[in-house]
Amino acid sequence: MLYNVFVDPFVQMADMPDLLVQVLWEGTVAGVLYALIALGFVLIFKASGVFNFAQGIMVVFAALTLVGLHEKGVPALLALAITVGVMYALAWSIERVVLRPLVNQPDIILFMATFGITYLIIGLGEFIFGGRPKAMITDQLFLPRGAIDVHMLGGRVTFQKLDIAAAVIAGLMVLLLAVFFQKTRIGRALRAVADSHKAALSVGISLNQIWVVVWFTAGLVALVTGIMWGARSDVSFGLQIIALKALPVLILGGFTSVPGAIIGGLIIGIGEKMGEFYWGPLVGGGIESWLAYLIALIFLLFRPQGLFGDKIIERI
Amino acid sequence: MSARDLPRDPVPGETLLRVDGISLAFGGVKALTDVSFDIRKGEIRAIIGPNGAGKSSMLNCINGFYQPQQGRIAYRGVERRQMRPHDAASQGIARTFQNIALFRGMSTLDNIMTGRLLKMHVPFFWQLWRHGPAMREEVEHRRVVESIIEFLEIEHIRKVPVGRLPYGLQKRVELGRALAMEPELLLLDEPMAGMNLEEKEDMCRFILDVVKQYGTTIALIEHDMGVVMDLSDRVVVLDYGRKIADGSPAEVKSDSRVIDAYLGVGH
Repeated sequence: MLYNVFVDPFVQMADMPDLLVQVLWEGTVAGVLYALIALGFVLIFKASGVFNFAQGIMVVFAALTLVGLHEKGVPALLALAITVGVMYALAWSIERVVLRPLVNQPDIILFMATFGITYLIIGLGEFIFGGRPKAMITDQLFLPRGAIDVHMLGGRVTFQKLDIAAAVIAGLMVLLLAVFFQKTRIGRALRAVADSHKAALSVGISLNQIWVVVWFTAGLVALVTGIMWGARSDVSFGLQIIALKALPVLILGGFTSVPGAIIGGLIIGIGEKMGEFYWGPLVGGGIESWLAYLIALIFLLFRPQGLFGDKIIERI
Repeated sequence: MSARDLPRDPVPGETLLRVDGISLAFGGVKALTDVSFDIRKGEIRAIIGPNGAGKSSMLNCINGFYQPQQGRIAYRGVERRQMRPHDAASQGIARTFQNIALFRGMSTLDNIMTGRLLKMHVPFFWQLWRHGPAMREEVEHRRVVESIIEFLEIEHIRKVPVGRLPYGLQKRVELGRALAMEPELLLLDEPMAGMNLEEKEDMCRFILDVVKQYGTTIALIEHDMGVVMDLSDRVVVLDYGRKIADGSPAEVKSDSRVIDAYLGVGH
C-alpha cells in the first residue's frame, strides 16, 4: 500500500517522461484558466473588500452574450466589441445600484448582495439568450484548432493549439494588467484604493470611479476566461461552477495577491491533474473534483493568509 | 467644478472658508451644534477643545467626509451643501489624519506621488506606453515631489515602504502627500500627536515654513497648548460640539468658558 502511494507513481513518472510532460502541460493549461478566474476575484476584493460571488456567473454571462449576439447575426468581432461594452454597462450599473447605496455596510452584506447579482444575471441571461448550452464561436474569433504533436523523451506529447492560445492570451492579459497597475494614473489610484480607502479619498480619488474600473476589468477577465473555457467545453450556466474552483486557488494564493492568484492557479491545476493521473487509480479515479479543496485545506493549516497574502496581524 | 471655474483668487487676509451654523449628528448623538467660524487666506487657524468636542468632525465636514445635516460651508465664496471628498481635493483642500492614513505598502516616494494624481491629465494610452507626453508629465510631477521630499528632509527614506517607518516620519510623509496636492487650504488633524519634543519642534518648523513658502492656509487641530499658542493666528474653541470661544490665542487663553471647559467647572 505504502509502495503504491509513495513510490510507484514516481517510478511511473521516471519510466514515461513523455507522459509526465503531457500531464504537466494539461495541468498548466487548467491552472492558467483557474488563475484567470481567481484574478477576477482578487481585483474586486483588493479594491472594494467585497468577495464577489458573481464572478463565476460573469464568466458565463460574458461568453453567453458573445455567442448569443453572434447567433442573432452580429459579426464575431463586432459581437466581441459589443460584449466589452455590455461588461462596462454591467460594471457601471453594479456600482450605481448595488455598491454605492451599500457603502460602509459590513462585508457580509456586500457579499450577500453579490449573491443577488448572481441570480439576477442568471435570470437576465436565460431571459435574453435562453438556457440551452451553446458552442463557443472559436473559428470566428480566429482561435486555432487542431493539435501539434511533439516527439520528445522517447514518446509523443500532444499540445492542443487552443490550449497554447489560451496560455498565451492569459499571459498577455496578466502582463497588460501588471503594466496598467504599475504605470498608469488609474492603476496608481487603484493601488491606492486597495491600500487605504480613507487616504485615497483624501488625495481626491473617487471611489465610485475606481469601483467601475475594477468591476469592468474583472468583467474583461471574465470575458477572456469565458471564451477560453467555453471553447474547451461549451457555453452554459453550468460553467459557473468553475468559480468554485477559484476558491482553493484563492486560499492558496491569498485573496489580495495578483501573483498569488497566478501561482495558486498553477499549483492547483497541475496538482489536480497529477493527482488524478498518478494517484487517482488507487481509489478508483475521480479525485480531480475534490483534490483541489484537500490541497487548500492542508495549506490553510500552515499559512492561513495564503502564499502571498498580507499577513494577518490582529491588534489586541 | 474645478479650481479654474472659481472666482478670482482670494488675497491674504480675505475670508477663504466660512462655516455657518453647522450641525452634525450620528443617530441621536450630536457631534456638532450650530458651529460658525471663518478661515482667512494665509493664516494658521487652530481648532481646539477637550476630547470628543467635535474637532475632527468639523474637519471631516469641511473636506466632505461627513455631510452636516444643517448649515452651509462656503469655500472661496462658493456655497455648498454637499461635497464629496474628491471634489474637495480637486478644489484645493488637502488634509492629514489623526491616526495616520497612508498607503502602507507603498514607498515614501509613491505615497507622495499619489498627491499628484489629480494633476495628471495625459490620456491613458500614452501612459501605457510611457512615452512622449506621459514621460514629460511624469518627470514634471517627480520634480515637484522631490522638492517636497527635500523640504521635509526625508530624502533618506525615499524608497522605504511607509509601513516600516517610525510614527514621527509617517506623520511627515503624510504631510508631504498633502503638500504634493499644492493645496490652498490644508487641514491638519493633530499633526503632533504622539511625537517627542524634538519631532514636535521639527513639525512646527515645517508648518510655519509651509505657510511662508507656499502661502498655504492652514487649519489645525492640536492638543498641545504650547504649540497652539505659538503657531496659530486665531483659535476657535469647541466643547461638546458647540463653539465656546473664538479669537487670538491670548484672548482665548483668558476666556473663562475655555478655562471651565478644560479644567472643569468649579476649579
